[in-house]
Amino acid sequence: MIWHIAKRELYDNLSSLRFALATVLLLGLMLTNAVVHLREHPERVQRYRDRVSQYQNHIASHAANSLYDLAQEGPGNLHKKPSDLRFCAEGGEAFMSDRAWAGHHRWSTDTLKSFWILTYPSATPNRDNVRPDVTKVDWGFVIGYVLSLIALLFTFDSISGEREHGTLRLTLANSIPRHTVLIGKFLGALISVNIPFILAVLVNLLVISTSSDVHLGAEAWGRLGIIFLIAVLYTCLFLALGLLVSARVQRSAVSLVILLLVWVVFVVFMPSTLVSIAGKSTPSGPTFDFSERSWKIHGELRDEYSPRRHKEAEGSIKRIQIDGAYVTKDAEQQERLHEERLNQRIAEVHQARTITRISPVTIVQNLIESFAGTGFERHLQFLENVRAYVREFRTFIVDTDSADPESLHIFGVRTGMSQEPVNREAIPKFEDTLNLSKDFNTATMELLLLMLFVLVLLSGAYLAFVRVEV
Amino acid sequence: MLITLVRRELLDNLMTFRFAAAVFITLLLVVANTAVLIKDYERRLEAYNTALKTHQQQLRERKTYSGGLLEIARPPNPLSIFNVGLDKQLGDETWIYHSYVPTLWDARMLGTTNPLLNLFSSIDIVFIFEVVLSLMALIFAYDAIAGERERGTLRLVLTHPVSRGQILLAKYISAMICLLVPLLMSLLLALILLTTSTTISLSTSDFLRIGGIIFSSVAYLSVFYFIGMLISAVTRRTGTALMLSMFVWGFSVLVYPNVIVAAIAPPYTSQARMVSTFDQIKQIWDELDRERKQFLANDAVPGEDPSFGMVKSGFAYEYFYEDSSVLYYHYGAGAHVEELNEESEPSVPHAQDYYRFLVPRSVDTAEQTWLVQRPALEAIFVQPAIVDRILLRFSPVGMYDAATQAWAGTDLHGLRDFFEAARKYRRTVIDYYYDKNAFRAREWFSADKGAVDWDSLPQFSFQRSDVRIHAERALPDMLLLLMMNLLLFMVILLVFTKSEV
Repeated sequence: MIWHIAKRELYDNLSSLRFALATVLLLGLMLTNAVVHLREHPERVQRYRDRVSQYQNHIASHAANSLYDLAQEGPGNLHKKPSDLRFCAEGGEAFMSDRAWAGHHRWSTDTLKSFWILTYPSATPNRDNVRPDVTKVDWGFVIGYVLSLIALLFTFDSISGEREHGTLRLTLANSIPRHTVLIGKFLGALISVNIPFILAVLVNLLVISTSSDVHLGAEAWGRLGIIFLIAVLYTCLFLALGLLVSARVQRSAVSLVILLLVWVVFVVFMPSTLVSIAGKSTPSGPTFDFSERSWKIHGELRDEYSPRRHKEAEGSIKRIQIDGAYVTKDAEQQERLHEERLNQRIAEVHQARTITRISPVTIVQNLIESFAGTGFERHLQFLENVRAYVREFRTFIVDTDSADPESLHIFGVRTGMSQEPVNREAIPKFEDTLNLSKDFNTATMELLLLMLFVLVLLSGAYLAFVRVEV
Repeated sequence: MLITLVRRELLDNLMTFRFAAAVFITLLLVVANTAVLIKDYERRLEAYNTALKTHQQQLRERKTYSGGLLEIARPPNPLSIFNVGLDKQLGDETWIYHSYVPTLWDARMLGTTNPLLNLFSSIDIVFIFEVVLSLMALIFAYDAIAGERERGTLRLVLTHPVSRGQILLAKYISAMICLLVPLLMSLLLALILLTTSTTISLSTSDFLRIGGIIFSSVAYLSVFYFIGMLISAVTRRTGTALMLSMFVWGFSVLVYPNVIVAAIAPPYTSQARMVSTFDQIKQIWDELDRERKQFLANDAVPGEDPSFGMVKSGFAYEYFYEDSSVLYYHYGAGAHVEELNEESEPSVPHAQDYYRFLVPRSVDTAEQTWLVQRPALEAIFVQPAIVDRILLRFSPVGMYDAATQAWAGTDLHGLRDFFEAARKYRRTVIDYYYDKNAFRAREWFSADKGAVDWDSLPQFSFQRSDVRIHAERALPDMLLLLMMNLLLFMVILLVFTKSEV
């Protein structure tokens, strides 16, 4: 019986104006998305490759000099690998730096050079951009905004409209339980919303995958499948909302007004308003405060070590030891300061993101981002990769140094470390990877939240429909 | 008769759920966001004031003319609360230096906030109106004619001796009154919030500009009401009218502006121009470098050090600064000698000669560079942005956005005003240096015989342009909006008079 009702709904919808308009709209959007991706992605990948080879050359040139040189210079710029699924979610990638700099030097004196530290440059994408600021047309936008609006437009009159026409009474006069009617209507609407969406997705993927410049692997297709399922789940949420309001309200016009207002508030305004309230209530310390602190640490260490250094004779073991301690301590403390600032910034973003989870559109965009391998969580993964690599690199330096019998094993000073050139093959290479299981872990919470929303709204719609007077 | 009709429509509209909802939602969104926006503005103002203080302090610590850069900051625009435009996006701190002409592209951001927070989009009052008011206008309009036709009341009204134009006018007037209630109420509340904030002081000119924004909002609202009415006149059933209106709304507000900017390719072809211009600029500076080296070679004292070995304490600098992505290239050299090496006292007149030659030449070279750099920057960065904005104007949202940005002074023109002022100030400072004979003075590089007195240095102050200029800039878009209103009204009139009841 459910199928009977669903089929009736489907036939009703397929020949309607909204179906045609939704198809055209979604197709247009997804085509634009594909074309833009094909235009931008190959260039992005090329840039990444160039930078990676630059990084490798950088390492190789210092490794050829000596271990000290390599240890002092550091591995250099570590780059974030661009995701092949960037067309699914832009994820604000432009606002996050695509590199970490493991080679920041601050000072040098006649005999000493500061050791490299890991710093996190920030991206300033808009500084020289005078083009109008618009939302990127990615899957996240299409699903989050357009598809949700379409879902509401398909359901706002599904119960109130039938009541107005009197057909609801007719349907219920047959011996069909109400929940069957509701589920049938829900399924019918779900299928009719998804037909144009699937069509648009297929066209989009067809255009992208037939191009020779972009290659999608098996894992990417898996991720795309998950993103599609998330989109369906998200559509369910708005369909349930539409049914709920439609069942509660007597006239379909009123139902649409309510739904549109709810949509505007929750989808368009809620995310940004909440963030402005939450994220900006705790300003991070100004940057000059940061540089002041950095200078202070630098000065304190210099004042502490400078007199002690000059007491010892140049070239004596004692002097080398003091110099080494000075340089390593300086690098450690400066790096900790950078780390602290980054963590503070990340904590603020976390706080803001937690609050915006009230809005379903943020949830779904976060989900799409985490499966597309873009966005904030991905950036955190990248930073983790960077830190792991930096640890590995440092261990490698220590190990190589201890393997050299001529070295004094005192870090931070040229004379205290191995002078042998390093085999470039042996140096660990940084490779940024994406990890699907990690993505799942970060996404679980949001996935559950989305399901919860859907369940609550569906049961709300059920209760409203059961109690409705025809 | 018209008044009777208006009254009837007004009573019909005022008692509806949609009217209550419109008022409630608009007020809620505008008040909540204004409070946040004011706070944000205050934070930016604070950052600006801190920057000013820092600049003052830096200037006091500078004892020679060439011993550092003069920095100036752009004050945040209070009307960015209405339409933020480019105000927060572009750099707001720049340098004044004799061998470099400041441009929009090499300005810095006052770095006080967390750059990662840019991940979240921010909104302004005009954006709320853009989305909510247009939706409201369509919701009010979709059944204006189709609904009456369905119910049969249209036939009833037309049996009276009323012209169809009058009916349309009555509907329009009453609906606009209903829509103006939430618009004006929310703006009033926003203004009250603005004036109660102690940090924001609005001048008469600001209020006139806000008036311009309100006027544009009304015109925008009316465009969408007309669009809804047209759909209502064309379609037979309210259901169809509603559906069509919603898709038109979704397309013109949500989809079109984003798609069109994404679809237009960024101008990669300009890469070649960028490279060739940068080479040209480099050549100009190479010329200076050659002359400089020649001057030093023909000189009695050997060496090229910008401080000629005079520094006992202090610092000296010499560098070519370049950033090819924004065509930024210049040569800077100078010193800040606190104490002079005793043995180098004889080379002081020599250094004076050197700087008397070098600095005016650098000033000229910088200006020569600017002549090359300016058209290139225009072609590479500004032209595509202008094309984008022209394309955006195919949607009423684009016109409205452009008009309100022009009124608020947060459009490209408004921001360029600041850099224009910065360039003018650079000239003023250079003239001041000439007056003071600074280039040949010992204080240009050394403070050992007394520091520079900065008290008489002209201060930088940035005055936003006059209301008249803002009005001129907003005029094209305002006219477009008004023309669109007129056009739509004519079309509706035509359709409605020809239609069968």
